[in-house]
Amino acid sequence: MNAMMKILVSLFVLLFAFNAGAVDLEVNTPGVNAIKQSMQARHAQLAPHYASGAVGIASDGMVALRDAGAVPLPQRQAVNGLVAAENRDRNALYAEIANANGHPEWEGEIRNTFAQRWMQRAQPGWWVQSGGGWSQK
Amino acid sequence: MLRLPDRYAIRAQAFLLFFSLSSSAAAASIALSIADIAAPDFSARGIALSLPQDGSAELRIDQLQVQGRELRKARLHCARFELSTAGMSCSGGSLDKLPGIALEFGYRFGGAWQFSAQLRKAPAKALAVFMPADMPQFTQGSLHGALHAGGDAAGTNSFDADLRLADVGFGDTTGLHAAEKLRGTAKLAATRKAGVWNWQGDIDWQSGDLFWQPLYLTGAVERKLSMAGSYDGARLAVERGEAALAQIGRVQFAAQWDLRQSRLDHATVHGDDLALERLFADYAKPFFDGGALAEAMLSGHADVDWRYRDGATQSLRLALREVGVADAQQRFALRGLNTAFDWRPNAAQHADIVFAGGEMFGVPFGAAQWRMQMQGMQFGVAHAALPLLDGKLELNDFRLRREGDDWRWQFGAALSGISMERFSQSVGWPQMLGTLAGRIPRVSYDGAAISAEGALLFNLFDGTVVASRLKLADPFGRAPRLYGNLNMRELDLDLLTRTFSFGSMQGRIDVDVNDLELQNWQPARFDARIASSDGDYPKKISQKAVQNISALGGAGAAAAIQRSYLRFFENFGYDRIGWRCKLRNGVCAMGGVDNGSGGAYAIVKGGGIPAITVMGYNRAVSWNELVSRLKRVTQGNMQAVVK
Repeated sequence: MNAMMKILVSLFVLLFAFNAGAVDLEVNTPGVNAIKQSMQARHAQLAPHYASGAVGIASDGMVALRDAGAVPLPQRQAVNGLVAAENRDRNALYAEIANANGHPEWEGEIRNTFAQRWMQRAQPGWWVQSGGGWSQK
Repeated sequence: MLRLPDRYAIRAQAFLLFFSLSSSAAAASIALSIADIAAPDFSARGIALSLPQDGSAELRIDQLQVQGRELRKARLHCARFELSTAGMSCSGGSLDKLPGIALEFGYRFGGAWQFSAQLRKAPAKALAVFMPADMPQFTQGSLHGALHAGGDAAGTNSFDADLRLADVGFGDTTGLHAAEKLRGTAKLAATRKAGVWNWQGDIDWQSGDLFWQPLYLTGAVERKLSMAGSYDGARLAVERGEAALAQIGRVQFAAQWDLRQSRLDHATVHGDDLALERLFADYAKPFFDGGALAEAMLSGHADVDWRYRDGATQSLRLALREVGVADAQQRFALRGLNTAFDWRPNAAQHADIVFAGGEMFGVPFGAAQWRMQMQGMQFGVAHAALPLLDGKLELNDFRLRREGDDWRWQFGAALSGISMERFSQSVGWPQMLGTLAGRIPRVSYDGAAISAEGALLFNLFDGTVVASRLKLADPFGRAPRLYGNLNMRELDLDLLTRTFSFGSMQGRIDVDVNDLELQNWQPARFDARIASSDGDYPKKISQKAVQNISALGGAGAAAAIQRSYLRFFENFGYDRIGWRCKLRNGVCAMGGVDNGSGGAYAIVKGGGIPAITVMGYNRAVSWNELVSRLKRVTQGNMQAVVK
């Protein structure tokens, strides 16, 4: 039993090492950096809307305007624009990381991995999407 | 038991009225229990009518449904109520759930009916009950005015509304369609004849804010909308409409929608002397999702006449006067654009386009006049010249066409007489001497990337620079990518090192930067090589340049100079200079004149008297580190490290 466990653990470690070696999610290229910087600059503007529940972390690696009513009317168009710009950047980021890894066809996998990561990193109180429905973390 | 006609004014499916007479001399009132009333848009259940003898009436309705919305336990009081075998009427009516509304209605059994309501600061929220559930609902404010409706057994045949809105707000569940503090008036008059409604409406929006995704309109400016048209259940037509928009102008329009197929049958839009700034910012820009114009500002005036039918534009007459386009990120700008044309899908036309100048990626261009040929969605300019800095760009066979949702274009170009001094200044480079010239057989945009065939030739530092295989992908995206090769021959090191304050060197070098990829204008990949040019020319390198080169690759040579007798010499002779960098993943793998031996390689190979050889010891260095070292060196504050 113990030996079995050891083999399983080794397999898991090997698999993990293989995966980690296969896709470098932290790949550092000027293109990736430009997109990350743009997203970081926008995050300060988006954070209050994650907290209010107006914007949620969608399950497809995007963000979504889930309750525009939580945003004061004069800011609603701007938040709408922030969400659109954030999603443009996220699409570009996944494509850019796939390109930087030399495998543009990995974009879908990278998107899924990031979707999980964004949801894990969501702060308590933020809204995340799973199975089509929204829940508060 | 009394049985009344079983047709209700609004096509009641069942109208059974039976009442139990429970009158007594003491009560002096009649109570009736009325069966359910059901109509397509209206139903009432559990109706009880009591008639005190003062001529008033009290109607209690357990469940009132209007347009799918429900009102429970409503109580209607009529100050005067008349019921006869011919009909019934109510005046001075009030519904307890709808404060501020005085109702009046009359109904001749099986015949005509009319209804009116006087609203006196009636809370808009209370009226929400009569709005379809899928429409935005009133949330705040009040309404003042009158509503009238009338009809007969065949249905409603007139409707009038004349309302004043005071701080009215509405919103839908998604929050994507909402308004706050709306003030203004809304009028609608509609009559039905032979199954067709003819209607006329006026909206005067004086203040308040509206968000109707993606549009956001603030009521700081007055907007008036007046329309007249018809509606037959299948088609909604605006026969004449006019929008008077402050700071923009007046727009006349007409349109017809096929409601069943959700399709625009035909439309015309006409506007003279429209101010483009707010028209574009308020009504056009919110619809751009990315793309070149998404962050642009427009100015100037336009006359527009657009005719649409059968799913396509039939004609577009457009006159632009002193139009300017400016990108918020300063990637491009165009000033003083004037043109007028009358475009039709199947006719060959031309337009004269005149503009005063502009900028593209920091490089200014001057005034020009172009003649554009138009044939359907194909546009072309046979020959055009564009003043660029102190030279010009000549365009040949410019073609623009629409493919699917994308615009594609191509042109051939020749650049001539542009001084590098002006060019380097305008793109923020160190001031360079030389000229920029070249001929590009074809530059094309395929919807994703701009590619250039042929080569651009720069005469720089008394040598030549050829840029070839240039391709700019995702030009308006977050991280534009530029690909290409740069091949430079016989650059004068003296001019070059003076330009970049590197420490004096004499001689000539060839530089190749192949397989170059810039991302967001930062190098991501290249194979670069610097080597002394062939031929016979003086070769000298100053002590400062030696120290600077050393500082780039390691402090070895600098230390050697400081320790040795060489520090007594200002200049040294050399035989060859060579440096290679293969940039991958942010790391530059370096080499020198030759591959060297062991870890070291020669960057400057000595020759003559006094001779010096500069060795590099680092084979790999982070590109960012190398660039920051280079910046320190060229900024002249470099201190040689002595160990």
